[in-house]
Amino acid sequence: MENMIELRNVSKEFKVLNRREGLKGSIKDLFSRDYKIVRAVDNISMNIKQGEIIGYLGPNGAGKSTTIKMMTGVLEPTSGEILVGGNIPYKNRTKNAQEIGVVFGQRSQLWWALPLIESFKLLKDIYQISNSDYNSMLALYQSLVDIEPLLHKPVRQMSLGQRTLSDILAAFLHNPKIVFLDEPTIGLDVSMKAKIRTLIHALNKEKHTTVILTTHDMGDVDALCQRIVIIDKGKMLYNNDIEHLKGFFGSYRTLKIRIDGELKQQAKVIQEELPDFSVSADEEWISILVDEEKATVMEVLNQLQQSHEIRDMQLEEISTEEVIKKIYEEGVE
Amino acid sequence: MKLRKYFSLTRAGIIESLQFRLATVVMIFGNLLYLIVVYFLWKAIFASSGTDMVNGMTFSDTLIYLVLATALFNFMEMYTVWEIGRNIQSGKIVLDLLKPMEYRRYLFWSYSGTFVTQFFFTFLPTFIVVAIVTHGAITFGFNLVFFVISVIMAVAINYSIDFLVGTICLYTESIWGINIMKQVIVLLLSGATIPIAFFPEPLKTIVYYLPFQSIYNAPLTLLLDGNSKPDTTLITLGTQLIWCVVMLVLSKLFWKISLRQITVNGG
Amino acid sequence: MKRKGLGFYLRIYRKILIQDIKSKMSYRADFIISTIGMIFTNIAGFVSFWILFRNFPSINGWNYYEMLFLYGFSLISLTPVQCFFDNNWSLRTYVYSGDFIKYCFRPINLFFYYQSEVFDIKGLGQLAFGVGTLIYSWNKIGLAVTPLMLLKVILFLITASLVMIALQNAAAATCFWIQNSFYVLDLVLKFKDYAKYPITIFSPVFRFIFTFIMPVAFIAYYPSLVILRPDAVPILSWLSPFIGCLFFWLSYKFWMYSAMKYSGTGS
Repeated sequence: MENMIELRNVSKEFKVLNRREGLKGSIKDLFSRDYKIVRAVDNISMNIKQGEIIGYLGPNGAGKSTTIKMMTGVLEPTSGEILVGGNIPYKNRTKNAQEIGVVFGQRSQLWWALPLIESFKLLKDIYQISNSDYNSMLALYQSLVDIEPLLHKPVRQMSLGQRTLSDILAAFLHNPKIVFLDEPTIGLDVSMKAKIRTLIHALNKEKHTTVILTTHDMGDVDALCQRIVIIDKGKMLYNNDIEHLKGFFGSYRTLKIRIDGELKQQAKVIQEELPDFSVSADEEWISILVDEEKATVMEVLNQLQQSHEIRDMQLEEISTEEVIKKIYEEGVE
Repeated sequence: MKLRKYFSLTRAGIIESLQFRLATVVMIFGNLLYLIVVYFLWKAIFASSGTDMVNGMTFSDTLIYLVLATALFNFMEMYTVWEIGRNIQSGKIVLDLLKPMEYRRYLFWSYSGTFVTQFFFTFLPTFIVVAIVTHGAITFGFNLVFFVISVIMAVAINYSIDFLVGTICLYTESIWGINIMKQVIVLLLSGATIPIAFFPEPLKTIVYYLPFQSIYNAPLTLLLDGNSKPDTTLITLGTQLIWCVVMLVLSKLFWKISLRQITVNGG
Repeated sequence: MKRKGLGFYLRIYRKILIQDIKSKMSYRADFIISTIGMIFTNIAGFVSFWILFRNFPSINGWNYYEMLFLYGFSLISLTPVQCFFDNNWSLRTYVYSGDFIKYCFRPINLFFYYQSEVFDIKGLGQLAFGVGTLIYSWNKIGLAVTPLMLLKVILFLITASLVMIALQNAAAATCFWIQNSFYVLDLVLKFKDYAKYPITIFSPVFRFIFTFIMPVAFIAYYPSLVILRPDAVPILSWLSPFIGCLFFWLSYKFWMYSAMKYSGTGS
């Protein structure tokens, strides 16, 4: 498979104004200003293949939007090279725009006052979609979601969920090679989230569209992404498969047990018995974070049963969310 | 202290408006250019008339009047109707209504910071320049005191009218239309663009019975007429006071009634 | 991908226009109020004009009807900017909030795409007023009605309108560079009101400024000379169509360059 997107040593710097505080500071700012250079994206390289769904993650202000803006041709990188579908995006923004689709979770790009179907017709003209392509795309949409009630409703009267759904459909309409989705499920209820995930998945399967997904919702990542890229403070922290991620900090599982007695006290006792693992307690459970490279859960359980009577137990896999949180907080060694 | 919460809004407003350095420069520069245009236009008008006095006003009277009217306009224009309309459309109004302060006051004091910067950046420099350039045309006596009192009432009347009109936005989405109608009527009938002395007779009489002339015409006439009779001054200030009270009460009532109507209807 | 020529853009504009008018009509109250607002603005403008000039037989050698001709001419040439480029007024808000970015992802001309979003139907009221005034003054002055004259007027009206469009584009595009560009736009808006006066009332310095720097004299004065003073047409009047096109092209380049420079605040 060919590379759809290639980034080589891409960096982007911004000049940011240092504002002073308070009323006095504002008056001072009126006469003298000092700027600092901020590296929003710092030497990032990656390849994305056709048909992949990539989760592009990072805490707020990590540089995700800046990267997306560079890939869509809105921003020119300070240094490094970007190729999107063989184009250099910022050199030929219009040509690049023909090949991509973009959705921003909270900013509809559809015509506010127009019914969805009229927006579609305009997009058909703007992207010069042929009649047969347009009709087969609409037929596909009809088979995937119930769009009938949406088609004749002006965008401004839609709920956030309907609007997001419409925006996603509009982004895929011209059958782009790549679609950028920026927090598509933000602010949506559980069932709408599921609907949108299913839709993205189906469109990706059907059209082999490459999808770049930025999100803070790990449910999106678990449901859609094969591979994730994590950046923070402009630097790339992780770029690999999602399975690999879970084993990233060793293979952790959480063993929860319930025993008689005061749990806080008992937790301390257990901590002494198991010095290798971290033990904590809440109202109901004692949790032991087991590193399976040191001992298996069964071994730990056997050891515990010799000195305590275990009333109940639970076993939890570490979730993607926890791993990502760990990466944000501790970085990658 | 009770006033403290209002003044902290003023302070925030000053800080906010100082953030825009270039805007301030453009504002001062633009104002200056605009005044020069007004100067040439009226000079040509007076030159063509052949007399020094048109409708009881000399060229320098007219100029001071118009220049200060513009300065007053810049100082008083609060874009209240826009603000209310946008807040209603975006739903932000719900948050503002939850603030422990009457909405009418909250909006006013939020904007008062701009009052202060506008006063120092546009009104005061204009006033000083006019006073120097026309040396002697503005008398410095009690008329200044009357002027200040009159301007304060003018601000109150202007804001009340704005708020009254802004309230209409609770009923219709047509902010632009509502605002432009208000602006056009106020500017013309208050004497902000043309001194009311120039108006033809029946129109002049009608305008004196309307609240709008209390906004620009009243303070400026008080300022320019250095030695007016006490009863003329009293009548002008008295009229303003009456309008001030009437408009304040009206705007407050209308807002209250409208808000109740809207909350009942759940709109 | 097919080439996107003028036909492509006209077709898209027509479709957006039809849809836009349809949806505007569905908000009837807003449409009616806005139209009334626009009529108000025009009546008020006319009343101001009348109050000012009814007292004077002529200003600087321009009689009442010739002034009226200039007024009508400026109203018409200010219509296209109102109708087709009104979205410039929102540009600042889109840039400030970061929403402008949404216009950057379409495979068509950015300037076109942005401006096409809004068609301001209210401008048509102004057009009607302008045409009425122009015909009335044309009659009163006793100008001939020949095909050549009509052709001249239409050509000069169209190119004159480009000047105002250019000014507004340039003013709006400043928001990509400075944060609170409202004052720049507001300034330009104020100056367009002075397009309706003969430039000869100004001193040479300002004649120069209004001709070459802030070229409002090309909105009505220079092109009107071709009709009103056919015996002494200055070279600038004959050049005004080219100047209109040139300014428009420059402002377009500036707008696009600024938009491309824009790095997108917010996320």
